[in-house]
Amino acid sequence: MTTKNGLITDSFKVVKKARKVAKRDETLAPPPQNAETSIRQHEEQQKLIQFDLDWRFGPSTGISRLQRWDRAKLHGLNPPEDIRELLLLKQNNQEYKLSLWSQYPL
Amino acid sequence: MFSDLSTPRDDSSLLCRPTEDLAPVFERASPAYSPCFERFGVGERSFSRQYAHIYAARLMQMRPLLTEKAEQKWGSDVLVRKLCDLQAGEQCCIVGTLFKRMDLQPSILKEISEEHNLLPQPPRVKYISDTDELILEDELQRIKLEGKINRDRCVTGSVIAVYGAERNDGKFTVEDFCTADLPAQSVRPALDSDRFVLLVSGLGLGSSHADSMLGLQLLVDMVTGQLGDQGEQSGAATISRVLMAGNLLSQSTQDKDGSTKAKYLTKKTQAGSVEAIRLLDELLFQLVTSVPVDVMPGQYDPTNYTLPQQPLHRCMFPLSSVYPTLQLASNPYQATVDGVKFLGTSGQNVSDIVRYSSMNSHLEILEETLRLRHLAPTAPDTLGCYPFYMKDPFILEECPHVYFSGNAPTFESKRLTGADGQEILLVTVPTFHSTQTACLVNLRTLECEPISFTAFSAGDDDESEMNISH
Repeated sequence: MTTKNGLITDSFKVVKKARKVAKRDETLAPPPQNAETSIRQHEEQQKLIQFDLDWRFGPSTGISRLQRWDRAKLHGLNPPEDIRELLLLKQNNQEYKLSLWSQYPL
Repeated sequence: MFSDLSTPRDDSSLLCRPTEDLAPVFERASPAYSPCFERFGVGERSFSRQYAHIYAARLMQMRPLLTEKAEQKWGSDVLVRKLCDLQAGEQCCIVGTLFKRMDLQPSILKEISEEHNLLPQPPRVKYISDTDELILEDELQRIKLEGKINRDRCVTGSVIAVYGAERNDGKFTVEDFCTADLPAQSVRPALDSDRFVLLVSGLGLGSSHADSMLGLQLLVDMVTGQLGDQGEQSGAATISRVLMAGNLLSQSTQDKDGSTKAKYLTKKTQAGSVEAIRLLDELLFQLVTSVPVDVMPGQYDPTNYTLPQQPLHRCMFPLSSVYPTLQLASNPYQATVDGVKFLGTSGQNVSDIVRYSSMNSHLEILEETLRLRHLAPTAPDTLGCYPFYMKDPFILEECPHVYFSGNAPTFESKRLTGADGQEILLVTVPTFHSTQTACLVNLRTLECEPISFTAFSAGDDDESEMNISH
């Protein structure tokens, strides 16, 4: 393959490399898990899902969980403080950032 | 009032020989001014959200206010229920958002549904009909309303509290209802002299018939003190600010030729708004050299269509934008001039309520929106609106002293006194290009008077024709 398509691999080298790097990142992203952390993560996710499903804090699609928490706080609805702490702790983690419905197309 | 200042006196300097001594200079009053347009900024401009958020935020913000009002009105022991806890036959109060189901309301879904093969819905003056239904919604549920509530006066999106009971057929019989009413007002400082703010809207520049140009030039000359004798000029010096409330450009500048015709046909034609904006720039240039001017965009002006409309861009006004007296404002407009709080819009919110309710008078609707404590209840249902999620910026947090809306068919004004002693001047600013009328608000007394630049008013057509023939 390499001998035949030498020209193509030459011209698309950069793209191929980038893809490989991206793939490697994806595979590396979840940290090495042991039973304890996965249980804890599962619990945290459940807590956040409960927050998403609480109708008192308004709709959850289209905005991040933290934005929804801030809005509830602004209007005096007393959202649970531990949710905010958890969200701030995991700010960069997409799984924590967006609501339960974020994967569904609008 | 302003008209007293400008009546000619005996020692008039008009029609005299030029004198040697210098003409007196009248110093223009310059009031303290602080704009608050940040409230109507849209921030990051993300349009991916749904409008559910703005309704949710509106209800969150209004619920405590309305619960308080309900307790004032029906006693502190009144039962305030959520719709999900409602029991048939129990007298209680519910806070919720109104929704009016209207058969005639234009719907994009109806228009594109091919299986019905319908004709496009014709535009109407009013979209209300006898089959309309009022529905109250809270966070979870909705219920149909009947009884003592005027269906045709209500509009979708207003948050109200209703008092009554649910009947066995699942409808709610309203015995009484209340709105959030006027918010608290700050004290207006006492001024020692008369100062005026000139409100004008609907200049309609760039239209094919230039019938309002003479009136417009007279208006500019009057404000800049180039008309009349010294009495009138000293009167003009008391005009401390000019506020243009939208539709500076005519509707006819918005021709859609560019988007429907082939590119090669329209390649050399210039958009109608280019010439109109240049005209506006020249006009503003005359004004801003002499008086501070606030320019609000309106429905036909070149800025975003959805409320809140962002200020027009400075680069469109190469002549006038170099002056610090030109203030490009947002629509809705909020600012404090000499301690007097102004709040108002270019009139889209009011004319939208005209279409979707039985009310016709712009002044009446203006008062109604103040009572609802909401600038534009029909946004986002029938009025374009940015998808806010954090809070609804159209809810009035503070009571203005002057509450206006532009582009009304006629000039009307009214003094309103609230339950807690709030004093508000309601003004509907008439469209200038059809009425040739602007209005002057006195900051000291909160009075308002129209000022007209036409010899022929609509009332005395016969008389004016006689004048011409003589």
